[in-house]
Amino acid sequence: MIALGQQIENKFLVAVNKKSSNNILDCYQCGKCVSTCPVSSFMDFSPREIMQMIKLGLKEETYMANSMWFCLTCAACSGRCPREIDIPRVMESIRHLAIAENINPDDPRVKNIRKFHEIFLDMIKRYGRNYELRMMAEFNIRTRNLFKDIHLAPKALLKGKIPIGNEKVKSAKAIKRMFEIAEKLEKTQ
Amino acid sequence: MARVGVFVCFCGANIADFVDVPAVVEEAKKIKEVKYAIDYKYMCSDPGQGMIRDAIVAHRLTSIVVAACSPRMHEKTFRKALSDAGMNPYLLEVANIREHSSWVHQKDKKAATEKSSDLIRMAVAKSMANEQLHEISVPVTKRALVIGGGIAGIQAALDIADARIPVVLVEKSPSIGGKMAQLDETFPTLDCSQCILTPKMVDVASHPYIELLPYSEVLELDGYVGNYKVKIKRKASYVNFDTCTGCGACWQKCPVKVPNEFNMGIDKRKAIYSPFPQAVPNKPVIDAEHCTMLIKGKCGICAKVCEKGSIDYTMQDEIIEREIGAVVVATGYDLWDPKPYEEYGVGRYKDIITSLEFERMVSASGPTGGVPVRPSDGKIPKSVVFIKCVGSRDEAKGIEYCSKICCMYTAKHAMLLHHKVHDSHAYIFYMDIRAAGKGYEEFVKRAQVETAATYLRGRVSKIYKKGDKLMVRGEDAQIGQVVEVEADLVVLATAVYPYKDNSDLARLLGISYDKYGFLSEAHPKLRPVETAKAGIFLAGCTQAPKDIPETVAQASATAAKVCGLFAGDTMLKDPMVSTVNTDYCTGCQNCVTVCPYQAIITEEIPLGHGSKEIRTVAKINEGVCQGCGSCVAICRSMAIDLAGFTDMQIINEIVSI
Repeated sequence: MIALGQQIENKFLVAVNKKSSNNILDCYQCGKCVSTCPVSSFMDFSPREIMQMIKLGLKEETYMANSMWFCLTCAACSGRCPREIDIPRVMESIRHLAIAENINPDDPRVKNIRKFHEIFLDMIKRYGRNYELRMMAEFNIRTRNLFKDIHLAPKALLKGKIPIGNEKVKSAKAIKRMFEIAEKLEKTQ
Repeated sequence: MARVGVFVCFCGANIADFVDVPAVVEEAKKIKEVKYAIDYKYMCSDPGQGMIRDAIVAHRLTSIVVAACSPRMHEKTFRKALSDAGMNPYLLEVANIREHSSWVHQKDKKAATEKSSDLIRMAVAKSMANEQLHEISVPVTKRALVIGGGIAGIQAALDIADARIPVVLVEKSPSIGGKMAQLDETFPTLDCSQCILTPKMVDVASHPYIELLPYSEVLELDGYVGNYKVKIKRKASYVNFDTCTGCGACWQKCPVKVPNEFNMGIDKRKAIYSPFPQAVPNKPVIDAEHCTMLIKGKCGICAKVCEKGSIDYTMQDEIIEREIGAVVVATGYDLWDPKPYEEYGVGRYKDIITSLEFERMVSASGPTGGVPVRPSDGKIPKSVVFIKCVGSRDEAKGIEYCSKICCMYTAKHAMLLHHKVHDSHAYIFYMDIRAAGKGYEEFVKRAQVETAATYLRGRVSKIYKKGDKLMVRGEDAQIGQVVEVEADLVVLATAVYPYKDNSDLARLLGISYDKYGFLSEAHPKLRPVETAKAGIFLAGCTQAPKDIPETVAQASATAAKVCGLFAGDTMLKDPMVSTVNTDYCTGCQNCVTVCPYQAIITEEIPLGHGSKEIRTVAKINEGVCQGCGSCVAICRSMAIDLAGFTDMQIINEIVSI
C-alpha cells in the first residue's frame, strides 16, 4: 500500500520536471505510449505507470523499476503523445537521478545494461567513435561472460562487419573536451 | 355518395422495395367507394401534394386516404394539402403501410402487399364515418406562473417579462437566488457567482412585469392550458414588507440563535433573519419554529427595536389566487444525504463535509471568511481529499445516474483550495472525468497541471481516523495499487437529488415524475422543456441534474415556449377530443379516475326534462383533453366517444377486413 498526504511538496516530481524540462502533470494517463512502446511488455511498470508514480512522488518505487533502463529512447511514444511529453527524455532523466543517488533495481539485466552504457560512453570518450570489437570484448569481460556470442565472430569478421582496426576520428580531442565540460557541468549543478 | 381518393406512396425505396405498389393501387380501385387511386414516388413532396389537391377538385372527392408512412410523420402535411384544396383537413385518413407493413415484412413481399391493401381497405372504411372537425379555440390568460426563484426561475421570469407578459414568481424561501447564491466561483471561467447572479435578482424585484412572491408556496392548480387558476400560500413572515427598510436592527438584537441553512449550518443565524446580505427582497422574516415570542409569548425585542413598527406577531398565513395561462416549474435540486456511506464515517467524523459546505467555506462572503477550516478544531487543512461520485453511479447505496456537475466543481474546488491555501494539496478520487462542455476539458487540465491536484482513479473504500487525521483508502487504478491518503479534510461530492417534496408538487400540478422525483419532460429529445400536460414547462435541475449554462439555456427555451403559447389571444387546439353523451352517462366517474390529464370533471344536470331532481354526469374539458381515449375504453355505458376515432369509425375498420 502506498501512503500519501504526509508531505505536501512533491520533491521527486519537481526534480524530474527540472531535469527533463517537461511537466509530468501534463500526463492524463491515456496509455498511448504503452501501446506504442516496443519494449513496454518487458518493463516492470509501463511508461504510463511511471508517469503516475512520479506524480504520486514514489521515488524509490520508480528507481527500483527496470522501465527506464529498458527504454530504447526510440521516441515512438513521444511522437504520438497527445500531451507532447518527451517521454524518452523523462526516462533518461530518472536514469541519471537514480545513478546520482546510487539506487539500482534488483533486475540483474539492468546491471548489464548499465555496463553497456558505461563502456559505450567510454569508447566515444576515448576514440571519438565506437570501436566495436573492443566494445564487445570489454562487455564480455566485464559481464563475466567471455564467450557470449562468440560463435558469430568468424562469420562477422570474414564479412567485414567488424573491422579489426579502429579508425580514429579527426576531432577526437574536441570530443574528449566535450566530455570534460559535461562532467564539470554535472558537478556544478 | 362517398367519393374516396387513395394516394399510395413509394417512399423512395422504403415502401416500393417490399410492397408491390401498383398492385396495391389496382386493389384499391376495386373498392366500391374509391373513385380515384394513384401512386407516386414521394407523396409528401410538393408535386405529390399537388396531385392530391388537383384530384380533390377534378374528381370531386369527399374523403382522402393516403397510404404512406406513419401519421406521426406526415399527417399534418397532408391535412394541410386538404385545407389548401378547400377540404376539411380532418377528412384525411392515413394508412401506415411503411412502419406497419413494408418495414416489418421485408422478407415476404406478397404478404406485405396484401397487408398494405388491407390497411387501405380499413382506412377507406373508416373514412366513411369521418366527420368534418374544426380546431377548438381556447381563450388565453396571458400571465405566467414561475415556481422557484433559483437561477432557472429567475432567467425564465426575466425572459418572459421582457416580452411584456406578466409573471408571478413564487419562491418558498425568504429570498430568491437559490443554490447559485451559495456558490463562490463558477466553472469554467471562475467568475464570481454572486457578481453574475445578484444583478439578475435585483432585475426581478424591480421588473414592472414581475410580481415577486417570496416566502410563498403553491397550494393548488386548477384549470387547463391558457386558463389555470392557482392558489398560493403566502407564509406569515411577521414582518410588514411594505414598511420594513431592511435596516437589520431586529436581527442584530434577536437573542435566539439557529443553525444557518444558507451556510449549511456552519454558523448561526437569528430567529428573525434575512438569509444573506444580498438577499432579494432584503427584508427579514421570523422563523416561527424558533422565535420565543411566537412560541412562549416572551421576548418581543425585535418589535421594540424596530423604528418603523414593522413587526407584527399576529400575522397569519394568507392564501391568494391568481389567474394564469402557463406554469414554469423551476424548483431546482437538493443534495443527496450521504448517510448510507458508513464506511466513510459520515456523521462520525466532523472533518468530512459535503461539497456545498466547502463551497460556503471558500466563499468570500462565507462563514469562515473565504478560508476552508476543519470543523473539528478550526485549523486550516493542508491535505484535502475530494471524493467524487458519492451516491452517484452507485446502485447499491445511492442512485444510478451521473450527477453531471461534480467532476467540474471538484476540479474548481481543487483550484479554489489552492488559491486560498497556497501550501495545500488536493487529492481527487474519481471514476471518470466527465468534462463535456465548452471550455470544460481545458478547465480540468488547469486543475491537473497548474493546481497540480493529484487525480487518483478509484472509489474510496474506507475512511478511518488516525490521531487527528483522516486516513482515506482507495485504489489508484492507474498503477494498480492501493493508496492511503493522510487527510486533514475530506470533501464529499454528493449526488444531485430532487427535493423531497418535488413529487408532491408534481402530483399537485398533475405532471409526471421519475422514480427519484425529477419531473418528466414530454419527450427526452424533441420536447425537453414541455411536460405531458399542456401549458406546464420545466426549467433547470427539477428535470435532471444540470450546470448553470445549461439551466439558463433551458430557462430561456421555456420562456420562448411560454411566449409562443401566448402569441395569440386564443389558442387553437386539435379537435380530436372526447365528448360525453349525457343520456348514457351513469355518473360512475371511472373516467375521472383514469384520465391522465385531469380533463374530466363532473357536473350536475336535471334528472329529466324539467325535473327538479338532479344527477351527476361526466364533463370533459376540451381545453385539457389530449384525445388519448382512456375514458372511452373505461366507460361502461359507452357514453363517451372520441372525435376522429368514434366507435363507428373503429367498427367500420374492423368489419372491412
